[in-house]
Amino acid sequence: MSYSTFNRKRFDSMKEPMFFGENVNVARYDQQKHPIFEKLIEKQLSFFWRPEEVDLSSDRKDFQRLEAHEQHIFLSNLKYQTLLDSVQGRSPNVALLPIVSIPELETWIETWSFSETIHSRSYTHIIRNIVNDPSLVFDDITENAEITKRAESVSKWYDDLILLVGLYNTLGPGVHNVPGKGEVDVNLKALKKALYLTMVSVNVLEAIRFYVSFACSFAFAERTLMEGNAKIIKLIARDEALHLTGTQHILNLMASGKDDPEMEEIAKECEDEAYQIFFEAAEQEKEWASYLFKDGSMIGLNAQILGQYVEYITNIRMQAIGLLPTFETKHNPIPWINAWLVSDNVQVAPQEAEISSYLVGQIDNDLDESDFDDFDL
Amino acid sequence: MTAISNNQDLLHRVLLGKKEILVTEDEPLLAQLERAGILVEYQCREGYCSSCSLKLLRGNVIYLEEPLAWVQSGYLLACCAIVKSDIEIAFFSNN
Repeated sequence: MSYSTFNRKRFDSMKEPMFFGENVNVARYDQQKHPIFEKLIEKQLSFFWRPEEVDLSSDRKDFQRLEAHEQHIFLSNLKYQTLLDSVQGRSPNVALLPIVSIPELETWIETWSFSETIHSRSYTHIIRNIVNDPSLVFDDITENAEITKRAESVSKWYDDLILLVGLYNTLGPGVHNVPGKGEVDVNLKALKKALYLTMVSVNVLEAIRFYVSFACSFAFAERTLMEGNAKIIKLIARDEALHLTGTQHILNLMASGKDDPEMEEIAKECEDEAYQIFFEAAEQEKEWASYLFKDGSMIGLNAQILGQYVEYITNIRMQAIGLLPTFETKHNPIPWINAWLVSDNVQVAPQEAEISSYLVGQIDNDLDESDFDDFDL
Repeated sequence: MTAISNNQDLLHRVLLGKKEILVTEDEPLLAQLERAGILVEYQCREGYCSSCSLKLLRGNVIYLEEPLAWVQSGYLLACCAIVKSDIEIAFFSNN
């Protein structure tokens, strides 16, 4: 029952479900039950970048010239993104590693979470560059009511799952009295349900919640302002696009029943709650847009347009996991954002940053003298 | 794998609502829709983000490389789908 860091049992990991089977023992990647996770790891590794590679010196000057209401938009988005990546930099590890059962997914979770820590580090890089006292920005994340409201929504599913998994792994199934929580009914079905809803909430976090901030960052860059920040956001958006594909695969594999037949049933049972998670997030993001623009809009963006964009992107994300796209907005109200989101034109010099098309390890050791035949010096 | 360069003259009809455009097998659907002035959501343009997923109501497409994104049954990924017959598509499953 309790978690083991090296499971001594002999079993075939190719027959294990993604979650709630045996604890992983040998970290081997020569065979994979779900090869997609190995491919995601390789793609994520090829994306590796460091925030310091992006020069932010002109952003400092730009920031000082922004109007007060624009500074509010910029800093508020940074605070919200810092919150989201604080959660994502740790929670997949804490919540999912104790219950994962196949090595390639275990390593994908670690690789995914690690890349979120790079995002967190990049917010420090940006904030340190534009304000004299970063604490004024960071401290507000736990105090500002608009941010803490969102902290509750993004962490509650993880926290529920972590509580259940902790009890299951130590005390086993049954009704347990937890100080401060009362009676908690722990059973495998409840755990699987908590896992499914956590994955939906994570998908919403990565595939919808980030995009309001992305839109604002790129709207500044459209005016050639805060362009260093926009370069960093492009790199973050590229990573998030990969992460959201990871959660879409997990959710779709669960719903298909091909991985664990019981998960198919659970996905059906949880459908209403899954819709609610999407609806709640979309509403919160629209409210967030109103908060951002409370003292004034930016050129090309206002709360109404951003609200429509939230509806549009939510439709796309719901459809990707087999839910119906139920919002009215069926066209992108800010189509220019795609040119910024597109990954392959991350405009940084190759010697300064990794570009996604740059492949490492492409050297061919198998050279023959004849390969130099058409070589002239 | 199909040698697409041999099919330069082959044209297929793409029906999207009331619009009809002609596409070749030379390049993925997304770029050809864009040239026809149709805005399609996209992000990565290399098959991993699923943003350009479109409903495939009728017809066949292929992928030269299996995309990383999950492609729901009855959908296609415009950024990397090569159209292989006349097709009918829609942005959303319920529009």
